[in-house]
Amino acid sequence: MNDQPTATERFIQGILPENPTYRQLLGLCPTLAVTNGLKQALTMAGAVTVVLFCANIIVSLIRNLLKPHLRIVVFTLTIATFVTMVDRFLAAYMYQMSKALGPYIPLIIVNCIIICRCEVCASKQGLIASGADAIGQGIGFGLGLSSIAVVRELLGTGALAGVAVLPAAWPQWVIMVLPPGAFLTFGLLLGLINWIQQRRSVEG
Amino acid sequence: MESSSSPSAGGFKNSNLAQAWLVLLLALCFGSALAAVQVQLSDTIAANKLNETLAQVPALIWGKAPPPQNVQITPGTLNVKKDGQASSYTLYRVAQDNKTAGWVVKADGQGYGDKLELLIGTDADVKKITGLFVLEQKETPGLGNRISEPQWRNQFVGKSTAKPLEVVKDKSQGPATIDAITGATISSRSVTNIVNATIGNLRGRLDASGGQFTERSQP
Amino acid sequence: MSYLVDIFLIAITAALINNFVLYYFVGICPFIGVSRQVDMAVGMGAAVTFVMAIAVFLSWAITYFVLMPGALVTTWVGQFFVSPERAAHIDLTILTYIVYIFAIASSVQLVEMYVRKFYPPLYKSFGVFLPLITTNCAILFACLTVMSHIIGVENPGQIWDLGRALTLGVFGGLGFTIAIVIMAGIREELDMCDIPEPLKGAAITLIIGGILAMAFMGFTGVDNGIRVALGG
Repeated sequence: MNDQPTATERFIQGILPENPTYRQLLGLCPTLAVTNGLKQALTMAGAVTVVLFCANIIVSLIRNLLKPHLRIVVFTLTIATFVTMVDRFLAAYMYQMSKALGPYIPLIIVNCIIICRCEVCASKQGLIASGADAIGQGIGFGLGLSSIAVVRELLGTGALAGVAVLPAAWPQWVIMVLPPGAFLTFGLLLGLINWIQQRRSVEG
Repeated sequence: MESSSSPSAGGFKNSNLAQAWLVLLLALCFGSALAAVQVQLSDTIAANKLNETLAQVPALIWGKAPPPQNVQITPGTLNVKKDGQASSYTLYRVAQDNKTAGWVVKADGQGYGDKLELLIGTDADVKKITGLFVLEQKETPGLGNRISEPQWRNQFVGKSTAKPLEVVKDKSQGPATIDAITGATISSRSVTNIVNATIGNLRGRLDASGGQFTERSQP
Repeated sequence: MSYLVDIFLIAITAALINNFVLYYFVGICPFIGVSRQVDMAVGMGAAVTFVMAIAVFLSWAITYFVLMPGALVTTWVGQFFVSPERAAHIDLTILTYIVYIFAIASSVQLVEMYVRKFYPPLYKSFGVFLPLITTNCAILFACLTVMSHIIGVENPGQIWDLGRALTLGVFGGLGFTIAIVIMAGIREELDMCDIPEPLKGAAITLIIGGILAMAFMGFTGVDNGIRVALGG
């Protein structure tokens, strides 16, 4: 019966080996949309982690009551509720950021990461493992988003989180903060990660 | 550990009725939680939205000078019927010691990328523009989005409303011209067009005594 | 005349200028996953457009008549519980996202039942995509865009009617279809190319998506020109 990963394993898996952005290729919509700035990327990652954590906890609490044909409804209801709460919270206490993130906060409801984790982990394991899984995946998602955001913001505006880093002489690659830049950056970084992974498996 | 998937076997717990009860119970709990969030946060959110505009008002009327004491800001609307089309402007009457010092009007229109939302400040008789602020824009970063920069916006301050403003590409040639941002002529023109259209609708309808301004009981 | 200009502009903007996939980044998962062959891509695009139209219709109707403050149905029902004065101020917008996602799930169910019953061969070819569409960001995004033109709009004269909402839904779906079909056409050619190992799969698709997005950037500002030309 205990062939399920432990809480620690869940936590560590989520950060790099099963990284939602680069390994699982889930939740790609916010990955491309909000990575034009480091602050936006981190806020989004935080929001997703909060929703994922709360949803995982609730689903884990009621996991023994769930039956196959209604579980998606339950997941969706739970996730939509927490996303609404996070959205309102941001609008109340981080108004400018809420405006910058716009429609991408409610789109967390259809973010494949959360439904996938509820399905794979929370509906089968206890509170601690589910919570650890949520935090691990959240950190992994944060790493994925930040890596893209750093490249885009630095090359596109010469600043990082709004603080100028590169000298003023840097010709800003405006394309980086526009849609094509998102696709290109993510595609190239994904290729890089794949290359590193392949080198590792050849050597190991 | 896993029970059968057939709904009739396994008794009450597996039945569809029990499942439906679970969903309903969850819906009720979540609904109450959301209602609590709504009650708690809705005022803060509405205030945020309003403050975004109100915070800009003093600078739009009095510029860099510190705002005087006893400022009253009254929200309201102005309904305009032109060419058979009715439109409504949200605006604020800014008064000092209950004497109208100026007006701040919210105007929107199409920019190069997406919609533009502006705040335009004028004096009491809509004879001069006293300020311009960009509330929302989705123009090209590095080019069009420089319309938010104070240096560019300051061109509008002090301009007379007698003639529509014109966008020119080199240094300003006259009192009624606006210097376009290099590489962002369309964004510059969009802002100027919105300003011209709005001022055109306001002139003659607003004055120091109020004109056609209708106060709103709730902001 | 001005209404038609408006509809035309909404259509062009949703399909080309602010393309859902290449500008707003919604619907990326099927864009990368289902764009290998042109006929599959067409099927997916058609399914998404169909579902989007129904979902937008449902969400517009529910938002306009039930959710927004002062909505007709809510005011009428509320009269039985509180004073008519207060009933006119009942604000159910906090339930928007939950209602939308269930409206979308219902639309998908409806379309699936309809296609399965009346077009069995069609169901066989792209019926497998239909349940996936529920988690497609593009549908929820279309509903949210419609919502933003109803709730929180200061000028009641600018609230979108059903015509504008449906235009956004249908042409947003068409834009999605255009993007995904172009990508499928390119990827069919890619099968014969020598792609470096690390880039195979999602990475090369994303890079091509970036170039496509660059191409579509050429449409920016077209609506401005059209608007000026039509004097709308």
